[in-house]
Amino acid sequence: MAKDKLMKWTGALVAVSMLVSAMSGCSAPAPKIADNFIEGDVSGGEAETLNWILAADASSFGYVGYTLESLAGYDNKFNIVLRCLAKDIEASPDGLVYTINIRPDLKWSDGSQVTSEDYVYTLKNLMFSDWLNYNYKDDWQEDVDGVKRFVVPAVVDNTTFTVTRKFVQPEFIYTLYDLMPYPKYIAVKYEGDVDAFTQAKEFNSLSYTGNLGPYTFKEWLKNDKFVLSRNPGFFMGRETGAPFFSEMVIKLFGTSAVMQAALEAGDITQCGIEPQNVAKFKKMERINVYTIPTRGYNIISYNQRNNGWEGLRNKQVRQAISMAVDKDTIVKKIYLGFAEPAYSFIPSSSPWYSDDTVLKLGVEPLNSKQKAIEMLKAAGYAYGKSGDRDVLLGKDGKPVKLLLVTTPGSDVVESMSMLIKQELADIGIEVEVKWVQWATLIRQYMSNKVPGSDQEARYNNGPGAISEEAWDLTLMGHNTDPLAPSGSRVFFASDGGLNSFGFFNSKVDELFAKIRSQEGLDKEDRRKMYQELSRVISEEQPVDFITYSRGNSGFQRNVKGIEPGINMGYNYYLWHFE
Amino acid sequence: MRSYIIKRLFYSVIIAWGILTITFVLLRVGPTSPVDRYILNIAARGQDVDSVRQAIEARYGLDKPIIEQYLLYMGNLLQGKWGWSFSASQPVMDLIGSHWIYSFQLVLLSSIFAIIVGVGLGMLSAVKQNTKIDYAASIFSFIGISIPGFWLGLMLILVFAVYLGVFRTYYDTNYPIWSLENLRQLILPVLTLGIGSLAGYVRYTRSAMLDNLRKEFVTTARAKGLSERTVIGKHVLRNAVLPLVTIIMFDLGSIVFGGAYLTEIVFGIPGLGQVSFNAIFANDYAVVVAVTLIGTFLVLFINLVTDLIYTYLDPRIRYD
Amino acid sequence: MTELRAEQGGKSRRPFFISHRLVGYYWERLQKNRLSLVGLGFIGFLALTGIFGPFVVQDPQKTDFNIKNLPPLGFSIQESIYDIRTGEITTTIIQSRPEHPLGTDSKGRDMLAMLVSGARISLLVGLLATGIAIFIGAFLGVLSAYLGGWVDNALMRFTDIMMTFPFFLLLVLIVFIFGPSLAIIVLVIGLTGWTGAARLIRSEALSLRTRDFITASKALGASDTRVIFNHLIPNVSSLIIVMASLSIPGVIMAEAALSFIGLGDPMSTSWGTILNTGQHSLDSAWWVAVEPGIMLFLTVLSFNFFGDGLRDAFDPKASV
Repeated sequence: MAKDKLMKWTGALVAVSMLVSAMSGCSAPAPKIADNFIEGDVSGGEAETLNWILAADASSFGYVGYTLESLAGYDNKFNIVLRCLAKDIEASPDGLVYTINIRPDLKWSDGSQVTSEDYVYTLKNLMFSDWLNYNYKDDWQEDVDGVKRFVVPAVVDNTTFTVTRKFVQPEFIYTLYDLMPYPKYIAVKYEGDVDAFTQAKEFNSLSYTGNLGPYTFKEWLKNDKFVLSRNPGFFMGRETGAPFFSEMVIKLFGTSAVMQAALEAGDITQCGIEPQNVAKFKKMERINVYTIPTRGYNIISYNQRNNGWEGLRNKQVRQAISMAVDKDTIVKKIYLGFAEPAYSFIPSSSPWYSDDTVLKLGVEPLNSKQKAIEMLKAAGYAYGKSGDRDVLLGKDGKPVKLLLVTTPGSDVVESMSMLIKQELADIGIEVEVKWVQWATLIRQYMSNKVPGSDQEARYNNGPGAISEEAWDLTLMGHNTDPLAPSGSRVFFASDGGLNSFGFFNSKVDELFAKIRSQEGLDKEDRRKMYQELSRVISEEQPVDFITYSRGNSGFQRNVKGIEPGINMGYNYYLWHFE
Repeated sequence: MRSYIIKRLFYSVIIAWGILTITFVLLRVGPTSPVDRYILNIAARGQDVDSVRQAIEARYGLDKPIIEQYLLYMGNLLQGKWGWSFSASQPVMDLIGSHWIYSFQLVLLSSIFAIIVGVGLGMLSAVKQNTKIDYAASIFSFIGISIPGFWLGLMLILVFAVYLGVFRTYYDTNYPIWSLENLRQLILPVLTLGIGSLAGYVRYTRSAMLDNLRKEFVTTARAKGLSERTVIGKHVLRNAVLPLVTIIMFDLGSIVFGGAYLTEIVFGIPGLGQVSFNAIFANDYAVVVAVTLIGTFLVLFINLVTDLIYTYLDPRIRYD
Repeated sequence: MTELRAEQGGKSRRPFFISHRLVGYYWERLQKNRLSLVGLGFIGFLALTGIFGPFVVQDPQKTDFNIKNLPPLGFSIQESIYDIRTGEITTTIIQSRPEHPLGTDSKGRDMLAMLVSGARISLLVGLLATGIAIFIGAFLGVLSAYLGGWVDNALMRFTDIMMTFPFFLLLVLIVFIFGPSLAIIVLVIGLTGWTGAARLIRSEALSLRTRDFITASKALGASDTRVIFNHLIPNVSSLIIVMASLSIPGVIMAEAALSFIGLGDPMSTSWGTILNTGQHSLDSAWWVAVEPGIMLFLTVLSFNFFGDGLRDAFDPKASV
């Protein structure tokens, strides 16, 4: 499960910083503890709650992560980096039993030891419970004879516990790495009462976190700032004296324009920089700008259900449309170069990505509008004249008009919709862009049900289901966990809960199933499966993968210890001022 | 007198109750649901959504029939329990308690600024009627009431903060409320919020004073040989104060919502404006109703005080 | 307070559309006020632009990403593109172009075209919403004054509730819940903004009710409807017109404010929507925020000039 957002750091390695300082020629004295590190964020990125088991947004987990480490994380090269784990998780040879060993020196705020009992309690009594309803239960369940069953955690001793599965799922280990514990001695007081649990002071003020994180919670003024103070007892800081900031502050701004101005003025230590300002910031003496890959991508989804244009049910047509939308134009015009074309749900930074097998539509040489027109003709569609322009005619002889539905509010999404409209106009397809609120989008366009039935509308009710309102295209953004991309099956598998565009392909289903089973245990086999999966999906084009964007992060020059990369926050607690 | 006050308080409670009900119903009855934000987050991370929706609705008591929810909420309110804000995950009172001071200081300082400068300019205009000063003040007040507050705020930020670097582009809550640095960073917001009211005060003061300057008692006072300053200060002003008070009170009531909120958003001041808008966008009815109630009581209180001041200032008026 | 206001506002007003001669008379009076003529001129210009403009300028929705973020004439700006393979940034200077005299926005849409179509929307919203508000206000005000008794009481209590309700908050609430479309926005502004008009018109009608010509016509056997429509309403018409022209700027600002916080109709390019986009690129494409603000400002200013002059023309002795 992808818990870390782009900019959220949870770290591990001591050795690296020692190596860096050794290489720089001086024997490193422990950096002195200086002032505050102020991170800037826009107010839309604020967390919902510190009671993470209730949260659905990544920010909440991120905020909590400053005070509470997970079992393990990974560095920029995807090497697993231990945190609360004493040693790496061991999987039994048959892949069904995972043994987790936590460190013996973890303590809660009341001085008591953090034991495996806390972890198992968190799993069994909280995350798996009915009364609490954890949002991401799905990650911990497996399909046993048609019924969803939870995996089975069990305590072995004070620092060891196991999690047992019925069926093999090789990527389950990544879900385990993200696990954080609740203190059993506090949680039992609220057990069974969801209101009391929700409003529990200890959980909302993170007062229990002991030595589990580099910082402890200090203050949270909504819409304004989230303040943490240095935790001298941090279990990973003992040798180095980390962390090296007396306070960590997340300051919220209304618009990113104002936030960037604050970075420039030196009022904050770090924030994200928009593409059009990167050149300006790179020129500044006092600012370092790091460009890093992200795992977020956007897609145009093609409605292959019965209430979309019937041409979209034809693979050739989908390929032709994808060919017409030039990805390099989007990269240049909308991202100003800070993006790379996407061909698969697997990001290029992922170890499972393979460039050779995917079908690269939308970039040279497969970006010719002429070729796209030919493909459409070959698929059986003719062109006619409307005024002085050539337009694509549907099977009914009338010009094809597609409806693109999306939500307003993001300049990138709006620009992309307009650009797509422009591109498709060049191959004779008229696109009408419609802006609806998110609530309307999910209710009337994404939810579907079989007409005439009285089933509940869901985001995927099978092949015969259609949405309330007809649509053809929509623009969406997704995230993939680079280490466990198979989570994306929720979009592309026939029973995927978010497969609202109606893509049903048995080969794809088969590959996803294999990856998440015994056959995927072997890493080489899994890699091949992912390659094949990317190839099939790129050929079938249920959606047009557009771009993976690059993020730009600006730091005041005096921040040292940063390693730029896809997970550059992994050692954030070792950063220090010069 | 006392029975009048009691009657007014009684009406206030009725009105507040009406507003509370309307707000509550609106938030619950519309097609949007607080769960929508969750769906967005969960969908973006590729999780299965359906079971989550029901779970969240159950957790927030959203699956009960609306009458039951309403009665539950009213019941709690009467016991003084303002409820829990699920979008801010803290008690509603804590949320409001930590943010109200920022709105209060903004409105207070803007009002003081607007009154002092506005009334002063208005008086000056009236006394120097039809001179260049008068025309200038007149044009200025037209500009003041016509300029969109939120745009003015943006322009001020652009010029003074981004280009000239005289002020910061955002509001820093680390300064104690009554410190000099805090007052300094409030200069632009107070200017923005105050100009609209100020312009109005200039016009009203001017015309009210002009009205009175023509009246007979002024000629009498002048004939008596009183200095101009006494004439204006004691006699004219006292009679002009009445309508002015109405205007000021009315204005206060209307900028507390709307004008102040927009200013807060533009300048990033974490006051009740941001709180209430965010709550509306999250369908967090507990917060929206609470903020609306507070504002409503404020307005009703201001109205009552205005009417009482009237009685004090003009003994000819009596309510019974 | 109501009673006092009635005294102040109840000065005699000449009926408006009695005869051509009177219209000419008022026109002459209006002309004396130069500012109001300027205002009227600009409004006329705006109306012409709104009606005919869209046929003359380019398509405001036409995007062209090759010319995005063009500065207005006389300015130039730098654009930097990053090459992902080399990590190099190439900077080019973008000049303004004469075919886009006011520049373009981040999607390459012509600013001039968008401002023109925005004019149409602002005027439409202004007129329609004000029309609805004034209509309701006048109707309720006259009815209330004429029928008196418990009807008057009930209607005024209802008006009290609506008046106390924080206007902007209510606006945001309703538009958020029912979806931001132009129709809803016009409707909501109209349905919530009638209280001021109702109050004033009621007090005016109250003072008229006791006048001789009303008693006379009733003595002659005129029915209630006839009295209301043939006598009362024409006599409050001048007040209605003044109120209308003074309400329009407020309505236009309200719609702009809604768009500014993101609750505008996303399918239309109202000035407020453009401003909303502009605030995010304040430091790079400042003209997107500056231009619509200027238009809003000038429009509101013109209506204020005009409305003020109108009020003076009808009765220069009105104090507020």
